[in-house]
Amino acid sequence: MKELLKELCSLDGVAGYEDEVREAIMEKAAPYAAEMTVDPLGNLIVFKKGAQPRKRPVVLCAHMDEVGFLVRDITPDGMIRLATVGGIDPRVLVGRRMKVGPKKVPGVISIKAIHLTTAEDRKTAPGIDQLYVDIGAQSRAEVEKLTQIGDPVFFDSAFYEMGDRCVKSKAIDDRVGCAVLVTLLQEDLPYDTYFVFSVGEEVGRGSVVAAQRLNAGTVCAVEGTSAADIPDVPKHGQSTAHRAGAVVSIMDKGTVYDRELYRQITAEADRQGVRWQYRKSANGGTDAGSMHKANAGARAFGLAAPTRYIHCACNVVHLPDVDEVVKMARIFIKETGENNV
Amino acid sequence: MELRDKLKKLVNAYGVSGNEYDVSAIAAELLRPYVDEVDVDGFGNVTGIRRCGIPGAKKVMLDAHLDQIGFLVTEITDEGFLRFMGMGVDQRMLLGSELTVLTQTGKRLPGVVAAMPPHLQNPGDNKKSVPIDKMVVDIGMTGEQAKKEVRIGDYMAFAGDAMDLLGDVVCGKSMDDRACFVCILHALELLRGKPLAVDVIVTGTAKEEVGGHGAMTRAWHERPDLAIAIDVCHAKTPDAGPGDRVHEFGGGAVVTVGINSNPHFARRMMEVARAKKIPYQVDAAPSHTGTNAWGIQVIAEGITTLVVSLPLKYMHSPVEMLCMRDVEHVGALLAAFVEDLKEGQL
Repeated sequence: MKELLKELCSLDGVAGYEDEVREAIMEKAAPYAAEMTVDPLGNLIVFKKGAQPRKRPVVLCAHMDEVGFLVRDITPDGMIRLATVGGIDPRVLVGRRMKVGPKKVPGVISIKAIHLTTAEDRKTAPGIDQLYVDIGAQSRAEVEKLTQIGDPVFFDSAFYEMGDRCVKSKAIDDRVGCAVLVTLLQEDLPYDTYFVFSVGEEVGRGSVVAAQRLNAGTVCAVEGTSAADIPDVPKHGQSTAHRAGAVVSIMDKGTVYDRELYRQITAEADRQGVRWQYRKSANGGTDAGSMHKANAGARAFGLAAPTRYIHCACNVVHLPDVDEVVKMARIFIKETGENNV
Repeated sequence: MELRDKLKKLVNAYGVSGNEYDVSAIAAELLRPYVDEVDVDGFGNVTGIRRCGIPGAKKVMLDAHLDQIGFLVTEITDEGFLRFMGMGVDQRMLLGSELTVLTQTGKRLPGVVAAMPPHLQNPGDNKKSVPIDKMVVDIGMTGEQAKKEVRIGDYMAFAGDAMDLLGDVVCGKSMDDRACFVCILHALELLRGKPLAVDVIVTGTAKEEVGGHGAMTRAWHERPDLAIAIDVCHAKTPDAGPGDRVHEFGGGAVVTVGINSNPHFARRMMEVARAKKIPYQVDAAPSHTGTNAWGIQVIAEGITTLVVSLPLKYMHSPVEMLCMRDVEHVGALLAAFVEDLKEGQL
């Protein structure tokens, strides 16, 4: 899992520019796929034959895109202004390294030195409109040789191990979901299953058309979800925690999850000793929210790995939690088949 | 070794104020080929002396500090997170940043400054900066594990090796002020084999960021006749205000004039620059220059000081940025100035 996650996290895929990620996943999926489709929006749909067919399609979905930026403007003095793609707190940007455009030109975001500020200045965090990427250029012409308005800008943040079986990288949200799906694809499955690797989740686009195409009966989004189990955050505000297993959603801004389904799956998880936790926040949303509204509607299940500091350069996940997500997804595949949904 | 490689070797090393020994050892090795003797003292100061061979020759001290800004661990929480205090760091560049924890047992542990994801924030939170005493560092451990590995008082510093940007621009942590030590190395290279009328004392000093303590003790030992503090100054960025003391990035060495940077010698240095066609800029400093020259100036009976600076963008950030041509120009100016000094002139 660690090597697969590393490989996927090292790729860049801001919404609208998921090509690199899709190509890598297609290569991994090809030997196991009965059918592979890339739809007009760029979603990758992989059909995996199981031991038995199903009455209606069951879909697991993970998004290929990550939060990032587009080049919004290039200033006469050679600085690159940004438009945010997905929800990013500008406070995590100062001092970060970035890769700009298809050439992945290295650059940084920073602000003038502390010596030139007052204590009062430092109380206010600069917004995205005040920040820019500096690639070391001194004129617009110099920058325009390397990138243009509309190009993607990515966080430059290496994947490495940290402490006790944790890994740190950009884009763990949602390459961790992609890695879980790729892992399952390579196994023998009890039932036919569709795997959707979606585009544009961070801006609420993409997966819905895949669900419509497949006329999905049941969908499961596999995510990297917020874990805010840090000191000074009250327990009820932590949403999820590291080292507490796979995350199961009850409700978020996109949907109220199918209660019968999550009761059934978590009961089986308890029987098997798979560690899981509820997501104790109704904020945010997943592809399950858009997919369950597709066509005549689908039952929705929400599964995730608790991930700290998502939507910044340094996401942190505890690998044993990811193993529990894989186990939980296996249960989803089996339970949705045995109960003939 | 190329100048840029020397720079990277120095800035990639760790040496937060008060624990400069790792970087001092590297600086001593880089200095050794150019001087008659090298010493590292108990403070972590590196000193090299190039003698001119003239009995009773005057002494010029070229100083750059080796310490870097950083953090100290103040608590290891039961959840395994580290609370900390900072020295000289703008709190606005910490959320979501990568730090290295330098444990007393010599381990280097990666850490991330925790940041609440936007999904769990209240409206308006993202406009308020978070004070350092409300931040924690995640090292991916449980409380029990963290308490075994980390102790109160352990140092932390910005992580990340230097990287090349466009042209001759290099970016990374600790350019302040190790880039200026590289300027000195470049000056020594240019002076190699040339006869001088003065002894040159090179110091790479400790604890500048907490008050210039290393340079003060070293100046007391060496008693130079002229001490030149070489430090970084602010290069212009788009967010600089009209009142900010900033200089052109890539515009050459910056020579300071004022009470802390002797006007007589400063003017002489500019004459040398003009004669040798070395690009330079002038900085008027009415009082404290924010460099080691301030502490050195009042050691013993008083020491004549000069300040020469290297333009640097984003000082005290993990992504400090400089032009290698500025490094070369500062080095060239120092070499030309020292070479121009005649016997008995100081």
